[in-house]
Amino acid sequence: MLIDINAYVGHWPFMQLKYNNCASLVERMNKFGVELSVISNLNGIFYKNTQSANRELYEELKSLGKNRKRFIPFGVINPIYAGWQYDLKECVEKFGMKGFRVYPKYHDYEITDPSLIELVKSVRDMNLPVAFNYKMVDSRQRSWMDIDYVAYTLKPEWSLKNIFPIIKAVPDAKYMILNVTNSMQLDEADAALFNKANVLMDTSGRTLNSLGDLLKTQGKERFAFGTHSPILDYLTGMLRIEALRASEADASVKELLRSGNAKKFLEL
Amino acid sequence: MNIDRRKFVGRSVAGVAGMLAGSHLKGMVVPGRRKEEQEDDFSSGLQQYDLMKEVMKYRKIDAHAHIYWTKDSPETQLNYGRRLGIEKQVISRYLDVMPGTPEQFRKFNDLTIKAIKQYPGQLLGGFVLNPAYKQESLDEIKRCTDAGMIGPGELYYQVKINDPKYYPIIEKLIDLKMIIHSHAECQLGVGGYRMKYNGHKEPNTSIPEDFVDIAKRYPEGIFQFAHIGMGGDWEYECKMFRDYPNIYVDTSGSNNAENMIDFAVEHLGEDRLFFASDNSYYQGVGKILASNLTEAQKKKVFFDNYNNLLKKGGRGVD
Repeated sequence: MLIDINAYVGHWPFMQLKYNNCASLVERMNKFGVELSVISNLNGIFYKNTQSANRELYEELKSLGKNRKRFIPFGVINPIYAGWQYDLKECVEKFGMKGFRVYPKYHDYEITDPSLIELVKSVRDMNLPVAFNYKMVDSRQRSWMDIDYVAYTLKPEWSLKNIFPIIKAVPDAKYMILNVTNSMQLDEADAALFNKANVLMDTSGRTLNSLGDLLKTQGKERFAFGTHSPILDYLTGMLRIEALRASEADASVKELLRSGNAKKFLEL
Repeated sequence: MNIDRRKFVGRSVAGVAGMLAGSHLKGMVVPGRRKEEQEDDFSSGLQQYDLMKEVMKYRKIDAHAHIYWTKDSPETQLNYGRRLGIEKQVISRYLDVMPGTPEQFRKFNDLTIKAIKQYPGQLLGGFVLNPAYKQESLDEIKRCTDAGMIGPGELYYQVKINDPKYYPIIEKLIDLKMIIHSHAECQLGVGGYRMKYNGHKEPNTSIPEDFVDIAKRYPEGIFQFAHIGMGGDWEYECKMFRDYPNIYVDTSGSNNAENMIDFAVEHLGEDRLFFASDNSYYQGVGKILASNLTEAQKKKVFFDNYNNLLKKGGRGVD
């Protein structure tokens, strides 16, 4: 069984995406044997009022019939925008959202902004995860209208060091860290805290090319299959798991990576 | 005809839904069918997919890979290759030093020669040079060819590919029926189309327009534009090369954007892509398998396109 913990529907304003609605994503899932996908609406990154995007996703899922069960919807919340507390409640109670995605860079607030801390604590109290990612697209080919965190500049793409302060601020929340594409280095004290935190990382990012080694240092329960679809191709994240040798991951560990860790983390 | 009707109907409905992908399917029902029927069909569509069987189904030549000065090289690269069924890797030690003197490029090529002697069944060698040193570069072509190398590896940023300094080098490579492989960026900066950050790029790095210029000057030359997945704007690159049949692209790079391969085939045709990794091995294989190419097209991209050109120079892989 495969569960994709990092997929999207919606649009990217600067580039046409394929397979970017639930129906076409179901086709993709069926073709490649993926039973469930965590999804959120990309439009929530760009709408000032993110709840409009959450409602869009809810409506789209409703139209899917039984196939709505193939999706685990996550809401997008901007904690510095008015009314987010109401949005959070509506997402869970009405829309059936099972977690939340936040975009500090796109929504222009610091990782230790008190509003974000309040949001993470609220999500924690609901026993739901909150998801961060390193980046959405490769900054080397970004549109000039996109955010200006650009590789090889004084304002580079994020690494784990940029995300870690929120984990330090709310260490007992559940975190997903997605599209891990740059360094995972932390200083010794922070690394110890990070290792204790309830974190699930997906296999879509290129840092996971060394998944065999990461399983040794991070443990077998902190990674799960993810695609970052439809921005990244559908299979590379899967390949990082399936190509592991038995000496790196036996059958039981591969099952954890395919779906077991996701099931446990998301309490499915 | 032995077709399971339920599976056939299910796939058909899914196909129709896919065609409607751009139309925001909120509440949409496929015409002529009850919503409940569609719900049943959708839920029955999950197929088994054996990814590693697909990976191993295709013979592969990695047309762009590198070795390093570290002790674990080339074993680390070979290990990835074995994992993913990559039969041959075309390796080079790219000349990432300035000014790139003859002494430097000979030293870099010595590393490659040592590796291909050690692993002749798995590694194909590509040499590097610097056209600013004309005679030394021509001499190096002979030395490296005599040592068994198949052509240039990833030529680097010392001189633009369309600079007149390159003409005698390119003419020699054409005589030898070698694939002319060069590093390139989409633009000399970072940050995408109309880049505004310098990114510390060397000013003589080749860009797509330089490739077009040289490909027009030497229509008999075979040019390999490096790594459409390296972070440059691959849509821009593929559109730029559409009308220049002697420019091929390698698919390598750490960026594995969805639709990159389909877009490249749409614009360049199925014969002008080379599978390559630039050492991002998972992305290299994953992006091709995830594409909508047919099995025959994937076979071309993974192996035949590059090998057919090697054969022209008598260097093909059996």
